[in-house]
Amino acid sequence: MTDANSANPTLATRNLRMAHDHHTVIEDLSLTLSPGRVTAIVGPNGCGKSTLLHGLARVHHPAGGSVLLDGGDIHRQPSREVARRLALLPQDKDAPQGLTVRDLVGFGRHPHQDWFRPPSPEDRAAVDSALGAARLEELAERPLDTLSGGQRQRAWIAMSMAQHTPLLLLDEPTTALDLGHQIEVFELIRQLAATGRTIAMVIHDLPSACRYADHLIAMKEGAIISAGTPGEVVTRALVRDLYGVECDLLEDPATGSPLLINMRRSTDP
Amino acid sequence: MTLRSLFLWALPVIALLASLSLGSGSVGPGDVLALLSGNGSDEARFVMTELRFPRTAIGIVVGLALGISGALLQSLTRNPLAEPGLLGVSAGSALAVTVMILMGSDSAAITTPVAQVGALAGCGLVVAVARMQGPGRDPVRLILAGATLSGLLLSLTSLIMMADQRTANEIRFWVTGSISGRQWEELFATLPSMALAGLTTALVARPLASMALGEHVAVGLGYRPGRVQFLVITTVALFVGAATALAGPLMFLGLAVPFIARAIGGPDIRRTLLLCLAVGPTVLLLADTLCRLLVAPSELPLGVTTALLGAPLMVMIVRRHRMPTL
Amino acid sequence: MQRRTVLVNTALALGVAVAALAALSLGTIPLHPVGVLRAFTTGEASQQMALILFELRLPRVMAGALTGAAFALAGCLMQTLARNRLATPGIIGIDNAATAFAVASITGVGIGLAPPAMALVGAATAAALAFALAGRTGTRGYPFIMAGVGIGAIAGAITQLMLTRVAIDAANAAYPWTVGSLNSREAMATHLLAGGLALCWLAALGIGRHLNVLRLSETVATGLGTHPGRLRLAGLGIAILLTGLAVAVAGPVGFVALLGPEMARSVSHPARVPLTASALAGAILMLLADLAGRMILAPLEVPVGIVTAIAGSPWLLWILLRQTPGRAL
Repeated sequence: MTDANSANPTLATRNLRMAHDHHTVIEDLSLTLSPGRVTAIVGPNGCGKSTLLHGLARVHHPAGGSVLLDGGDIHRQPSREVARRLALLPQDKDAPQGLTVRDLVGFGRHPHQDWFRPPSPEDRAAVDSALGAARLEELAERPLDTLSGGQRQRAWIAMSMAQHTPLLLLDEPTTALDLGHQIEVFELIRQLAATGRTIAMVIHDLPSACRYADHLIAMKEGAIISAGTPGEVVTRALVRDLYGVECDLLEDPATGSPLLINMRRSTDP
Repeated sequence: MTLRSLFLWALPVIALLASLSLGSGSVGPGDVLALLSGNGSDEARFVMTELRFPRTAIGIVVGLALGISGALLQSLTRNPLAEPGLLGVSAGSALAVTVMILMGSDSAAITTPVAQVGALAGCGLVVAVARMQGPGRDPVRLILAGATLSGLLLSLTSLIMMADQRTANEIRFWVTGSISGRQWEELFATLPSMALAGLTTALVARPLASMALGEHVAVGLGYRPGRVQFLVITTVALFVGAATALAGPLMFLGLAVPFIARAIGGPDIRRTLLLCLAVGPTVLLLADTLCRLLVAPSELPLGVTTALLGAPLMVMIVRRHRMPTL
Repeated sequence: MQRRTVLVNTALALGVAVAALAALSLGTIPLHPVGVLRAFTTGEASQQMALILFELRLPRVMAGALTGAAFALAGCLMQTLARNRLATPGIIGIDNAATAFAVASITGVGIGLAPPAMALVGAATAAALAFALAGRTGTRGYPFIMAGVGIGAIAGAITQLMLTRVAIDAANAAYPWTVGSLNSREAMATHLLAGGLALCWLAALGIGRHLNVLRLSETVATGLGTHPGRLRLAGLGIAILLTGLAVAVAGPVGFVALLGPEMARSVSHPARVPLTASALAGAILMLLADLAGRMILAPLEVPVGIVTAIAGSPWLLWILLRQTPGRAL
């Protein structure tokens, strides 16, 4: 696969405020995604992590502050230009019946195509390489609705890969998948990171975040309460603070990342 | 409580008096009073005995029948939007009557049973639709399916009207929904079946109340949901057929009346049914009086007024109940 | 993908031609199709034939094809934007409202605007109302559809009301048109529709590429660099324009807007929103339905709106009962 990271763009927020119906969800949040790393955004339900991701992906307008792509306000840049540098895989997505995997992945070329121009050789190459990276060549002509949950999610990720962006944002890429399919998807994400892409994902499951992310951002009530490598961020106090859960921590002998064991409900409120 | 009971007692009386004394003609409340004290003009006497009394009596019966059928259907389908007009029961009844007139018969004696058979067929279709919907059932879909069915049956009615001028002339006003110009005999022809339907309503009220908690609960309490369903459908068919024979296919009344009754008396189906006895005639008589007054000296078809008033109510109910997205 | 689109559209265009030929040939005085073709290619025809062909049937066939295409294209756009097969202009009340406004201008209640203009105003009003009543869920939820159903019921009642207020002859004359018929069309409205359809079709093709992506979800479409908000506004605007213009010619023939896109989708590539195919399928359906309406009870004419309602209702029921909720179009 070609290296998508040549330009190495940066994505950051400055004093970001996000609101739903005049109800502030995120207040005064500033961050910069570490280039070339996998960042996981974790936190309890309703902490604003998905809202943050949608803000970063310019799906929702900020109520205050700004999202900066390569130093410029993301909402001031043409959406198509942004889509050539930043891909988003949201949770709400749906494919028309009968759509094949190749068709779906082809949609990833949308920001690179023009009105009525047939797909260029470059488009075809990008689709083929995305299918290859996601190990979907065999399934390329199969309709999406005949695939398993994990295969389908890989197809969607392949669509984002075909978009050929140095930045990739994923909103809970493994929800509703069983363990095997989760690992399938996480390994694909790691593989993508190895090509130099900057990846940020919202993750429900703290242990998986520790295992597969280089960098953790822990959120609570619309603010970042801790950020750094999993080893730095995940402490007993943080787990108690975020989830109201007591645990013990070990170091994963294989990867060196923190392991949560002996988890139980915290007694003091 | 006082305000509520005021509404409950005062409004029906007002509606009754308004329906008797107000009209598009020249006979007004003064003439009615004179007539009651024994010295009215002949014209007033004629208008009262031949026009307004039968019209009001029919209004009471139709309002009652449609209100109760709406409450029964809503309870059975557990759907606040279920209503004989929207679901196609009235349209089935109207089509049956139209076919009957097309075949050359127009005696009042058989109109009612034919309308009731049509209503039963309409009910059957609705139940079949609800069954076919299977596990993914949701309330709005049933209504949309019913509305489609209703549209189909009314299209067939239009087709017959188009093909046969005589039929068209006979039912032109009836088919838009109206209770004007009806005779006493037509009302009397519906009374036996109405009485029967009233009886079965009393029978199913208790089991329906327990079915509101879920079919399994009802089985646990010793009821047979299948039998209850059968009785409810028969009752609705009897009521709606009779009402349609008298007043044509009226929309939204079966929606509005139980809605108001529930707003007054809470969700218990037994109380709703009792309240429908007062609310149904009140709503219908008020709507009908409105028809006579709004464009006097001519009249609006009742069906137009009920649609104008009922459609916004339907939208409101959908919004209030936070129906699921597709 | 490209090849299939071309193939499907060519086949459907041929279908339109065949349906049009049938509609031109059949009727109370049948003409031989070969003769009809010869009359068109060489201009050689008897006086009587020329009268039937060019004065009576051709304008009707043109009006039928144009309205069918306009309704179906509008239906396809609305369905795609609302991500719901039920969200056709007919079901959400736009047809009825356009009819009510047009009838108002015919029966003299209006402010002197020509029926097509009034129909447009009515269509836009209904759409705006449905939006306003739907509240936060926008076009995607039931509130939108049910608000539309309610608006349609009210508009239908108002139409009936206006018809009862005018002389019986005027009411009788207007009646077929209010259920949808090609019988009382006006040349002026048809010309407007032809121009409007051409523009709207081009505009729809212009946003077609983005509509394909929008089907995946609004968020995905944003991620791929489109503007769903603008797209929705443009698509709705086109659909309203088409519906208003078509209603002004033929009255409400709502089922074509449901069935045309259904038919087009079943033969088209799933990655594309079948815009052109829908329009062509709509034209075929309208021509065939009108032909059937003329033939079934001849010499009596059944309005095309009633034919499509009777033929289309079972299909709509099937969708309602069997469509899995939440499945994308």
